[in-house]
Amino acid sequence: MMDQPILGAPTDIRVVSAVGILAHLSLASSFLGTILLAIVAEFLYIRKHNQFWYNTARTFSVISTIFFGVGAAFGTLVEFGLVTLWSNFISLIGEAIVLPFYLELFAFLIEVIILPLYVFTWNKIKNQVLHWIIGIVAAFGGYYSAYNILAVMASLSMRPPGLEVINLYQATGQNVVGLTDYVIKWASPIDAWNMFWWGANVFIFHGILAVVILTWSIIAAIYLYLYIHDRKPERLMILKILVPTVAVLTAIQGFVIGHLQGELVLQDDPLKLAALEGMFWSGLKIDPLTSFFAYGTFNHAFWGYFSWPTYERPPAFVSVFYWVFMVIFGILLGIWSGALSLWYLFPGFFDRFSWAKTLASFFERSSVYLMPFFAAFASIGGAVSAESGRYPFILVQADPNPSGGPPVITGVPVGPGGLLNPTLYFPVWLAVLVLIVEIAMPSLAVYMVYLYLRGMPRREEAKVVEY
Amino acid sequence: MVSATDIAVGLIAWAFSVHLPLVYTVLGLGWLLPTLELIGYRRNNQVYVDLAHNMANYLITVYAIGGLFGTIITVFLAGLLPIFTNIAGALLWPVWGVAIAFGVAIALPFIGFYYRSFGRIDPMKHVVIGYGMAVALTVIPAMFRLVFAFINYPAGVEVFKDETSLVGFTLGINWSQVFLNPTYAPLFLATLFGAIAMTGILINSIFGWRYAIDKSEYRLMGYRISNWISLVFGVVYALFAGLYLYEVYLYSPTVAWSILSKPPAYLPSSLYSVYEPTMILTGVFYMDVALGIILLILIVLSFRFINRSISALKLILVLLLMTSAEVMNGLAHLPYAIVPPLSAVPKLVSNYGLQFTLQVANTLKVSTLLTPELNALVQLVSVQPGLLYGSLVIFAIFNALLLYVIYAALSWKWTPQILRVEKQ
Repeated sequence: MMDQPILGAPTDIRVVSAVGILAHLSLASSFLGTILLAIVAEFLYIRKHNQFWYNTARTFSVISTIFFGVGAAFGTLVEFGLVTLWSNFISLIGEAIVLPFYLELFAFLIEVIILPLYVFTWNKIKNQVLHWIIGIVAAFGGYYSAYNILAVMASLSMRPPGLEVINLYQATGQNVVGLTDYVIKWASPIDAWNMFWWGANVFIFHGILAVVILTWSIIAAIYLYLYIHDRKPERLMILKILVPTVAVLTAIQGFVIGHLQGELVLQDDPLKLAALEGMFWSGLKIDPLTSFFAYGTFNHAFWGYFSWPTYERPPAFVSVFYWVFMVIFGILLGIWSGALSLWYLFPGFFDRFSWAKTLASFFERSSVYLMPFFAAFASIGGAVSAESGRYPFILVQADPNPSGGPPVITGVPVGPGGLLNPTLYFPVWLAVLVLIVEIAMPSLAVYMVYLYLRGMPRREEAKVVEY
Repeated sequence: MVSATDIAVGLIAWAFSVHLPLVYTVLGLGWLLPTLELIGYRRNNQVYVDLAHNMANYLITVYAIGGLFGTIITVFLAGLLPIFTNIAGALLWPVWGVAIAFGVAIALPFIGFYYRSFGRIDPMKHVVIGYGMAVALTVIPAMFRLVFAFINYPAGVEVFKDETSLVGFTLGINWSQVFLNPTYAPLFLATLFGAIAMTGILINSIFGWRYAIDKSEYRLMGYRISNWISLVFGVVYALFAGLYLYEVYLYSPTVAWSILSKPPAYLPSSLYSVYEPTMILTGVFYMDVALGIILLILIVLSFRFINRSISALKLILVLLLMTSAEVMNGLAHLPYAIVPPLSAVPKLVSNYGLQFTLQVANTLKVSTLLTPELNALVQLVSVQPGLLYGSLVIFAIFNALLLYVIYAALSWKWTPQILRVEKQ
C-alpha cells in the first residue's frame, strides 16, 4: 500500500485557531453591528430630534468602541497565531496576498483615529451633521477593514484568477529554507488586484451581511425582551428598524448572495460542494435537490464525497454545519424576523385577525430567545462550512481531471510542508491555556459593556473640572 | 527610481519610529504609576495618587495607538520581508508567543482592571495590581528585544547545508544559547530605563508647560518628581546604552562599523567586503550623544527654573533622541537583515567551504530576503508607483491626525479623584 501524504494539521492546533478566529469574528461583528446602529440612530435623531435616538446613538457608539478595542487586541492575538502556528502563511502573504492586508492598514488607521474622535466629541461638535459624518467615516473604516480581511478569507476558499501555486518539492525537489515546499505568485504583478475579483466580492458581502444580521438580531432580542416587560413606545421604535432590517437582509442573504456563493462553490470546489451537501457517495450520481438549485433541473449528476482520496477530503461534519446550522436556522431566522416585521410594520391590518394576534404574541415571546439563537448558529454554521469545507487546503482550485475522474483539487496544504510551523511544539496544556484566553477576551468585552451600561447615569452627572 | 529595498526599509522605519515612542511611554507609565501611588499612600499625600490616576487615562490611549502601529509593523514585515518574517516566526515562535500572551492577554486586562479599580479596592492591593501590570508590560520588550539582539548577533542559530533547500541550507535553533546573546541584556535594560526616563521627561515637559498658567501643588509636585525620574533613569539609561554599544562592537561588526564609521579592530581586512555597512550613521550617533548632553543640562536647569521654553525643548529633544537612536539601531545592520556572526565563519568555512559561507551571508541580506521576484507588493509598486506615493501622503495625513489626537488626549479635561469620591 502506498504512503498517503499528510496534508492536514493536528486537531488541537486547528481547534485553537478555529476558536480564536470565531471569537475574533464575534468581536468584530459586534463592533460593525453596533457602530452601524449608532450612525443610523444619529441620522434618525438629526431627522426627528427625538432624544431617544440621540441617547441610543451615543450609547452604541461607546459600546462599539469597547468591542473595537478588545477586538483589535484580539486581532493581534490571531495575527501572532499565524506567525507562530502557521508561520509559513507569512511567506504566502508577502508572496501574493499582501494587498488586502496593506489596504487594511488604512482602514485600521481610520478606525483607531476617527472612532475615538466620534465617541469623544458628542456635545462638543455643535454641528450634528458634521459629527454624524465623522461617525460614518469611523464606520467606513470598520467595514473597509472587514472588506479586506474577508477578501483574504475568500482567496483561501477560492483561488483568485492569475494566482499560481507552485509545489517546489514536486517541481524541483527543493523547499524554502526547510520550512515550506510551496511558493505562490501572480502571473503578472497587476493581478494582485484580483484579490478583489467578483467571486471574492460575493464572499465578502455574504460575510458582511451575516455580521449585521447577527449583531442586530441580538440587539433586537434585547430590546424585545425589554419591550415585552415595559411596552415603552421607544422600544417599539427601534424594533421597527432592527427586525425588518434583519428580515430583509436575511432574504437577500438567502435568495441572492447565498445562491451566488453556492454557484461559486459548485464551479471552484466540487469536493467542498459534495461535503456541504452531504453527497456521500463515490463516483458520479444524480442528486435531484442540488441539481435543481444549481441548474434548475432534476437530473444533473455530481461527484460524490468519496470520489476523492481520504487525505484530500474535508471533515464530513461540515454538512451538519451547512444544512442544519446555516440553511435551516437561516430560514427559521427569516421566518421569525419576517413574521415579526409584518406585525410591527402593519399593525392596523393584522390587528383585525385574532389568529394574527396569537401568532404575533408567539413570535414576539419566542424571538427573544430564538432570533439570536438562529442568527448565531447560522453564522457559526456559515463560517465553519466555508473554512472547514476547504480543509486541508487553502487557495483552493479545481481543475478538470485529464483521466476523466473527479476534478483535481489543488492548493497549499495546511499541514507539514505547507502552512504548519515545522519547529512548533504545542502541548495540550498550552492549547488549553490559549483556549481559555480566547474565550475570556470576548467575555471581558461583554463585561465591560455591562459595566458601562450600569455606570451610565452616574457618568452623565459627573462634574468635569480642569486641574 | 526608488528601489524595493528603500521602500521596505523606509516603510518599516516609519512604522517603528511612531510605534517605539508610544510603547516606550506605555512601559514608562506602567512602572511610574504604581510607584507614584505607593509613595502617595506611604506619605499620605493624595496628590501623588491623583497624578497616577490622571496619567492612567493616557496609558490606555497610548497603549491602543502603540498597539495599532505594532500591527502595522507586522503587516509591513510580512508583506515586505516575508521570508525573513517567516524564518523569525518559525525559529523564535516561543518569543512571539510569550510577547503576545503578555502584551494582550495579560497586560490588557491588567491595564483595564488597574484603571477601573482606582479608589475602589484596598490601596495596597491596587498598588500590587499596578506592579503586576508593569511586569506584564515589561515582558513585551523583554521578548521583542531578543529579536533585535538576534538581528545583531543570531546567537543559538545553527546552519545546516541542505541541497533540497532553495537557498542551499536550513536553520535550526539551540534555545540554551538564545537568551545568552551578549547584546540582549544591555539592550533590554537600556530600553527599560530609557523608557522610564523618556516618560519622566515627557511628563515633566507637560507639567512644566501647564505650570505657567496653573500654579497648583499638583502641577508643581508632578514637575519635581518627574524631573528626578528623568535624571536618575536617564543616567542609568546612558550607562546601559554604552554597555550595549560595547557589546555590539564586540559581536556585530556591521552595526559597529556603521555607528563608529570604521571597522572594529578585530575584523580581518579580508572580511571587510562581507561586513561593510550600507550606511555610515556616525553623524546620527554623535547627534544622539549631543542630544543626551543637552537634555542632561536642561534637566539640571529644570531643578532651578520652571520655564515653558525649556519644557517645550525637552519634549522635542527627548522624542528626537529616542527616535533617532532607535532608527540608527534599526538601520545600522544594513545590508543585512541578520548580521552573520563572525565566530561562525571559521566553522562554516571548515565544514562546508568558503563559497557556502558567502552564500549564507548573502542570503541574510535584506535585498535577498526581500525576494523581489516573490514579493507581490514590491512588484505591484514597481508597475503602479502611485500606490506607494498615495500611501505616503495618506500616512503623512494620519501622522498629523495622530499628533492631534495625542494633543487632544493630553489637553483633555479631567475629574480629580477627590470630586469622584465626593460624587459617590
